[in-house]
Amino acid sequence: MPSAIYQYDAIDSAMLADRVAEFRGQVARRLAGELTEDQFKPLRLMNGLYLQLHAYMLRVAIPYGTLRSPQLRRLADVARRYDRGYGHFTTRQNIQFHWIKLKDAPDILEALAADDLHAIQTSGNCIRNVTADPYAGATADEVDDPRVWSEAIRQWSTFHPEFSYLPRKFKIAVTAAPKDRTAARAHDIGLQLRRNREGELGFEVMVGGGQGRQPFLAPTIREHLPVRHLLSYLQAVLRTYNRHGRRDNIHKARIKVLVAQLGAEEFARQVEAEWAATDKAAVDLPDTELARIRGAFRIHPFEPRRGPSPAFETAKAADPAFARFVRNNVLAHKVPGYAIVNVSLKAPGETPGDCSADQMDAVADLADAHSFGEVRVTYQQNLVLPHVPLDDVPAVFAGLQAIGLATANIDLASDIIACPGLDYCSLANARAINIAQDIAGRFALPERAEAVGELKIKISGCINACGHHHLGHIGILGVDKKGEEFYQLSLGGSGEEDASLARILGPALSGPGVVDAVERLVDAYMGRRLDGERFLDTYRRLGAEPFKEAVYADAHPA
Amino acid sequence: MTAQVLTANGLLDGEVVFFAGGRWVQHISEADVFIGDAGAPALAAAEAQPTVVVAPYLIDVAPSEGVPVPVAYRERVRALGPTIHPDMGKQAENRREAAVIEHAQGAARSTGRVALIKRK
Amino acid sequence: MPTLIRLDAAGFRLASNDWLDLGDEDEAVDGPILVSAARFAAQADELLTGNRPVGVRLRSEEPVEPLAYDLPRLALVALEFPKFRDGRPYTAAQLLRTRYGFTGEIRAVGEVLREQAGFMVRCGFDAFEPADGSGPEDWGRAAGLFRHVYQVAADGRPPAFVERAR
Repeated sequence: MPSAIYQYDAIDSAMLADRVAEFRGQVARRLAGELTEDQFKPLRLMNGLYLQLHAYMLRVAIPYGTLRSPQLRRLADVARRYDRGYGHFTTRQNIQFHWIKLKDAPDILEALAADDLHAIQTSGNCIRNVTADPYAGATADEVDDPRVWSEAIRQWSTFHPEFSYLPRKFKIAVTAAPKDRTAARAHDIGLQLRRNREGELGFEVMVGGGQGRQPFLAPTIREHLPVRHLLSYLQAVLRTYNRHGRRDNIHKARIKVLVAQLGAEEFARQVEAEWAATDKAAVDLPDTELARIRGAFRIHPFEPRRGPSPAFETAKAADPAFARFVRNNVLAHKVPGYAIVNVSLKAPGETPGDCSADQMDAVADLADAHSFGEVRVTYQQNLVLPHVPLDDVPAVFAGLQAIGLATANIDLASDIIACPGLDYCSLANARAINIAQDIAGRFALPERAEAVGELKIKISGCINACGHHHLGHIGILGVDKKGEEFYQLSLGGSGEEDASLARILGPALSGPGVVDAVERLVDAYMGRRLDGERFLDTYRRLGAEPFKEAVYADAHPA
Repeated sequence: MTAQVLTANGLLDGEVVFFAGGRWVQHISEADVFIGDAGAPALAAAEAQPTVVVAPYLIDVAPSEGVPVPVAYRERVRALGPTIHPDMGKQAENRREAAVIEHAQGAARSTGRVALIKRK
Repeated sequence: MPTLIRLDAAGFRLASNDWLDLGDEDEAVDGPILVSAARFAAQADELLTGNRPVGVRLRSEEPVEPLAYDLPRLALVALEFPKFRDGRPYTAAQLLRTRYGFTGEIRAVGEVLREQAGFMVRCGFDAFEPADGSGPEDWGRAAGLFRHVYQVAADGRPPAFVERAR
């Protein structure tokens, strides 16, 4: 099936092959003792290989969260052959395998490269996977396809000789719709595509966001950057960071610290000065190359159909479970007669974001049959079939039911973002997965979850915030208190265009305590909400007091 | 007197391993237990084996039913496997050892882990 | 004398390291001398009129801009990598070559490892004092691993988008 996604040409493929050969040599030198672990570590990190709690973990890039079905099948294949039959989708639209052996890593990278997959720069102090709106190319509200620009950035940032040893990691997100599904403001660079008053396409450039120890929302350092100057401007930002970012303290090394320290205005001034001195024509992509990339994201042969789909409507009327699935997981597509179908990886009792090899193969099959072979990964750790004809949605639902992926809970209380936490991660202070499962269990009854409505719960097992707890309507941070797991609650965060950082509610609670607390918070919300208010809205209207009281008034804190 | 065990990850496969009389074993119940400072030479030896193991460090343990159970919760998870997958990891390979670790008394901050953080 | 490898049109080869690394208090002698940025800032004219090649050694936190005026008269800029992970010298080299048009030798000193050979060459380094015992063949291999590049850099290799347009 012809793909309407960027496909690697001979040059892109050669890059992967050369990278595999390079890494093979580096692994051989490490095993022979010619490289110390200290010298080898950044090299393996730049190939996505972490040493974790139980084994090596490999983080495979899914550029701008977009996969062709053969690629999803290849990931299933790697999971089976080299791991334990499953993978974990992450908050950066990547996938992680938790049981990898270093000695297999070069072979795994070679296998991945056969389907244009790689683990390039998914870790290390370099530019990481560029994320984008998972509904790109399918949503009516975008001004352009953000993946065109994400692909341009991917190529520019890959093996960039000047920016591969930055003070710290660097994350970029690109969005093109008024509704931000990428948490752009929480990134080192967030790029919002928009047309200015003259109708010209440009980026609002936000720099200096980040979570972790010190969360920041990125200030806008440039309101409108004409799109053709994207790369030269990024070079100016990265060069300013490379030169002036702190290198004395790992906890102060992100660009957010530099921006906060200089102030957005001064930082912007330095970037603009560097940009003014740049030979832009040498860095910016020529129109021919932009056209080539854009052309690769060509439109699928959609067959628009106006009016209702009898198959779709009949199924909705006949099957309440399907109707619920449509209500929560299915969204309107920009082409009449099609739909965007979300596939929840948050089934009751399962690990959030985990997907078995069999499930991956089944989703690939569904994509081939019903979504032009395309699958997306969202930062909420779910999947998307972006282009499903309405007529086909009942069949897709049935197919998902057969593999346990039909949970109708997108954006509901049981659609929880959770990092792997202490069960897998050597950085963690506490487990996150069990907490997510317990909370989700309290809202397992679909009627209850729907009655509560949109509630984004995000759980991190440590201050590094891979679970995005700073951006949760309810955020939960696992901490280590005298060797025991405790959990700190925060409320009121949002990763969307109305971005806000969650605020700590009170003293940390035990595991069972925090699960109870979430129910009390929901009860407090249900008892006070006005018509149409989500949890976040009620919190923003009333403030923390009623919620604090609900949790702590008669609770037994740690 | 503090009791300790030396642990690391195998370079080739990343597996969690424990030091036992000059070799590296998969299960903590087989590990040598060091009293006081006695683990220092083994740690030095491990650091001198960079093509065998990575990131060696000492962890505090307390004997329970014949097994040197890690005092720190994190080290217990590391000795067991993911708690949400009892079918994976060392806990699946040695059910008796896993049961002892799971049931052992209380936990506290691991000096081994603190040392790791300082080294970073 | 530390091993010195030079890169030119013929490739990587061992070179004799004739440069004297002068401390700030040492007397300036005949023969090629390498001085700190601070000393150069204080004594530039004096040193440059001495009819011998002069080079400046920059620490990774020191900017290249102050050298801009005198670059045409400098034979060498040595950029220090205090740790191989300190990426500032890559920017320094790129600026020296592309913004200031420096045509003299840019030498990588400090914790210089062949694993970073490719990046160094792309950024405009053409001389290397390896800290890992590697030799010219190792550097030739490491720097030649990638058949294509995606972005423009100081070495002038045509990026992928230029290759595609041909």
